[in-house]
Amino acid sequence: MDKHIVIIAETGATAALPVTYELVTLAAAIDPDHIEIIVLGTDCGDIAHEIAGRTGLSVTAVSTSVEYTPELWKDILSRIIPGRGPDLIVIAHTACGQDFAPGLAVRLGTSCITAVESFSRTAAELTFTRAILNGKAHMDIVPDLSPCVVTVLPGAFEAYSAAPRAPGSIEFIQSDAKPCKIMPSGMSHPEEEDAIPLNEAEVVVSAGRGIGGPENLDLIERLAARFKRSAVGGSRPLCDLGWLPYRQQVGLTGKTVSPKLYIACGISGSPQHVAGMKNSQLIIAINKDPNAAIFQVADFCIVADLVEFIPLLLDEQDGTL
Amino acid sequence: MKILVCVKQVPDTEAPVAIDAGGRWVGPVFSFRMNRFDEYALEEAVLFKEFQHDVAIDAVSVGPERVQAVIRRAMELGADTGVHIEISREGYMPPEVIAAHILEYARNKGYDLIICGAMSEDCMHAQVGPLLAEMMGLPSLTAVIAAHMREDGCSLDIEQEIEGGLRRRFELVLPAVISVQTGINHPRYPTLTNVLRAKRQPLKRIMAREIPLMNRFGFREAATVKQGVMITGSMREQAREVVRILHEHAIL
Repeated sequence: MDKHIVIIAETGATAALPVTYELVTLAAAIDPDHIEIIVLGTDCGDIAHEIAGRTGLSVTAVSTSVEYTPELWKDILSRIIPGRGPDLIVIAHTACGQDFAPGLAVRLGTSCITAVESFSRTAAELTFTRAILNGKAHMDIVPDLSPCVVTVLPGAFEAYSAAPRAPGSIEFIQSDAKPCKIMPSGMSHPEEEDAIPLNEAEVVVSAGRGIGGPENLDLIERLAARFKRSAVGGSRPLCDLGWLPYRQQVGLTGKTVSPKLYIACGISGSPQHVAGMKNSQLIIAINKDPNAAIFQVADFCIVADLVEFIPLLLDEQDGTL
Repeated sequence: MKILVCVKQVPDTEAPVAIDAGGRWVGPVFSFRMNRFDEYALEEAVLFKEFQHDVAIDAVSVGPERVQAVIRRAMELGADTGVHIEISREGYMPPEVIAAHILEYARNKGYDLIICGAMSEDCMHAQVGPLLAEMMGLPSLTAVIAAHMREDGCSLDIEQEIEGGLRRRFELVLPAVISVQTGINHPRYPTLTNVLRAKRQPLKRIMAREIPLMNRFGFREAATVKQGVMITGSMREQAREVVRILHEHAIL
């Protein structure tokens, strides 16, 4: 069963983002012989070369009059995609992808399946799987319309790494589409983020008695500050000691959280604490005690003294930024 | 200025998941509340009303009779009128169907601004806002973390939250649809006046027509057994591995 797949690349200022290559992995697993990639941007030639070089796939580079707006992207893509006749359009489930993918599907007269984490196939059809209810259940969707627009969760697939025999071809298009109802007006970096309430944070870094003393809370805060939409939490004992205010307590008598990432630092893992964080999507636990109960619910476990470990972690992170 | 806020009733986070043998999502049958993202959408509408003249806020929800609870809640939180698009049966509704129902009601009503939550907490599709916008032929922005009326009174300055703590800024011409992120404001408690009004004011009720499905779907419970991976090596190697894992999960 041939499936013609169009991938819309997700790009940063100067390079394709890793998720672009994850989309290629998904597409290659469905039909490696019928994939093409579209990259859009005011100055996307270099990125097109990068993608064609790394994947060997044919790339269309669309040069746009202004930076990203969902309106412009939908205008351009709904004009060039139908002529290519794809069965599947694959987009990253990022802020940008979520912004334009559903509307693009409407323009193409089809539906959009978002936040896909895996897929399966039979001879006749594809099934896409996504999580609902904070991962407590899964939803399997079989698209009945063609083409189908799919957004794929970053990290759900490995980045494509097969070395191509030769770079893919590149077609350059100059788009004359102009913004009309949405004008881009640059980027900003908020200087002071208001503290995000615990249950809304996407990343929670929590401390327990194992941090030793209140002077080490600084390490926890420095680690939390490395993530966007992050917050610092703590175990009940820590709040009882007055090292953190009760509003930051995670657990049965405190807040229940289910962030994308929960880092438990020096937390033993009492059932009352675990009840408040077990639905987190990814749990990393750091504890000196190799038998700590927290390791039973963690996805990744590190047996270490966090006063030594966190500075190393911050240091390693600096090296990759 | 006419604002429409779309609200959804979702199961309580603690409510048990009920999926039947045919892969249909059948529960819960009680323990519902308003989707948190929609509380921010409502508060944003109320803020517009406080800073502009002549703002009327309608709140709409699609679903069986039970969703009237969140429409009343929306009125407690400041909506002037509640609109219930009635579906006679229980069960999952895909985002394109919800958007099509709201479209039926909202088109030709002269809304200047439609505000949705960025996503629902239960299904997390993040689609109703941008789908509805496109169906109505309106511009749309999602993940909105700041929205302010410009001096001309007919467009908004928008900040959109993107990866890495950055914000993308846009000027958005009204009428338009925005989907707001939590943290855009600080939702307040209902006032007593609004609580009393929400109790007695009748809802506008509209019987929904049948919307055909675009996809087939089924549900299943996720396996709950977790097995943690012990990270080994020197402390620096372990730190390096943690950074790699965070990149792999697209958290860094």
